[in-house]
Amino acid sequence: MAQTNNATLIRREIITRLCRLFAEGRLEDIDRIALAMAPRNAQTNGSRCCIHKARAIIKYRIMALLGFNVADETDELESLYSYALRALAGTDRGEGVLTVVGEACTSCVKSNYVVSNLCRGCLASNCMVSCPKNAIVMENGQAKIDSLKCVGCGLCKEACPYHAIIYVPIPCEESCPVKAISQNSEGIEQIDYTKCIHCGRCMMACPFGAIMYKSHLISILHQMMKADKPVVAMLAPAVCGQFRASYGQLVTALGKLGFADIFEVAQGAELTARHEAEELGHVLATGQQFMATSCCPAWVELTEKHLTQLKPFVSETWTPMRYTAGLVRDKYPDAVVVFIGPCVAKQAEALKYPGVDYVMTFEELGSLMIARGIDLQVFEVEEQGAVIPERQFAASSGVLNSVAAYYSGEQIKPLVISGLHKKNMAVLRRLATGKHDWNMIEVMACEGGCLSGPGGVSSPDVARKLFNAQSGVHTEMLVQ
Amino acid sequence: MNGQVEVSICYGTLCFVMGGSEFEMIQDQLPSDIRHLVLVKGMNCPGYCNSQENGKPPFVTINGKLIGQANLQKVISGIMGELANGTDK
Repeated sequence: MAQTNNATLIRREIITRLCRLFAEGRLEDIDRIALAMAPRNAQTNGSRCCIHKARAIIKYRIMALLGFNVADETDELESLYSYALRALAGTDRGEGVLTVVGEACTSCVKSNYVVSNLCRGCLASNCMVSCPKNAIVMENGQAKIDSLKCVGCGLCKEACPYHAIIYVPIPCEESCPVKAISQNSEGIEQIDYTKCIHCGRCMMACPFGAIMYKSHLISILHQMMKADKPVVAMLAPAVCGQFRASYGQLVTALGKLGFADIFEVAQGAELTARHEAEELGHVLATGQQFMATSCCPAWVELTEKHLTQLKPFVSETWTPMRYTAGLVRDKYPDAVVVFIGPCVAKQAEALKYPGVDYVMTFEELGSLMIARGIDLQVFEVEEQGAVIPERQFAASSGVLNSVAAYYSGEQIKPLVISGLHKKNMAVLRRLATGKHDWNMIEVMACEGGCLSGPGGVSSPDVARKLFNAQSGVHTEMLVQ
Repeated sequence: MNGQVEVSICYGTLCFVMGGSEFEMIQDQLPSDIRHLVLVKGMNCPGYCNSQENGKPPFVTINGKLIGQANLQKVISGIMGELANGTDK
């Protein structure tokens, strides 16, 4: 989910500055962004030790915005301008979609269990006695946990009669549904890309904003400037909850930004819903117990990398993005196709299948509008004509409702999985055992659906409210 | 007595993206005992963002007084302040 906090606002300010430099043809000044944002003698906001650290972090944030994996840095003195030129030349920008800004990672705690100063250093020392790894010693009258020995079992916490041992979470690790992020020997988090499903939950969880997605923005701006091919935007339906604007106003804005044409991804979603309804009828008729939706790329990757026993149950129907890309190619065979949405995992999906060239987030779209001085409020509001009902794909339950609208067959017994948090991961693991009577399962990695995606502008509550007011479709959560 | 305090929120895209989106929930966030005393309005961008002296976005005015880098908490305490002033008179 997009949250409005200092970490997201700083990211948006950096994106805006980058877009502005590009528009003004002053990309060579890119290394000055850090100096402008953290000027000499300025106070840091307290969470960073000094402006030099703050500048270093801004530099690596820009490196990620230029599309590079921060972990791939080989020469610390390589300038951002050099990275920018390499990005424009189309060099390989490393693996993964998410990247850890090591400088910003404060390496939270080495062990999840910490002895607080409430410890009385008691005679019984139940913590020491209960520890299976001999990880606790008494030092200066208080217990101390050796993080190298601690395995995080939590028995000491249970054993302490003073409740002096507390559990301290590591937010990114805690939020990752697939244990793909962990500390290296220096205590800095690193992502295992063989496990990562690109859901973006770690990025939203990190209070220091230390995890970023590798952006395609510079390549998109470059393509628009070159103007040798039409750059066509595909706008995901979640957009209706992201700005204070009608769909028509957004289309006007995208035209002004330089997109040659704008396609609504809800068009592709209609095709997805129709095909998926047909597939569901077929699959259930042949005796398969259930089918799961295929539109959320993080969920599909979860079944490819982890819950492989569920993969055969995932629908083979294309995602709305792929269908829409097909519609774009029919009209503009040589187009540069840009998907604009709230999703980080769509980047990985775009790499897997041909048809979509770049992925842009709503946050980047918002920052680009700021940089180009575009104010949605001044555009005329057109009368809302017929609305594609599949706009509801953006919200949890929306895909199920859409599929049900085209489906005829035995009764649908739906299960809606909204968000890949711990509880839902446990539900998904149990699914494959077959001991349930659901026959259609909708899975979205983000709580509440794409409206709460990591690349959004508005927080989930705001996004839902605006979506219900502006999209022309109303979303009701199905009972879970 | 509706509208004792007038809150105007900049609906410009810049303010909205830079944190102003949170004000969409302002009616739900106002303490229920003062909700009826507050009139919340939106305004098209009056250009506060063009001058650095005004501080950073998002911008909100409370009875005409400009608040920069506004957030829900700042605005609610601003409203409380106005209400306290009003009863002193």
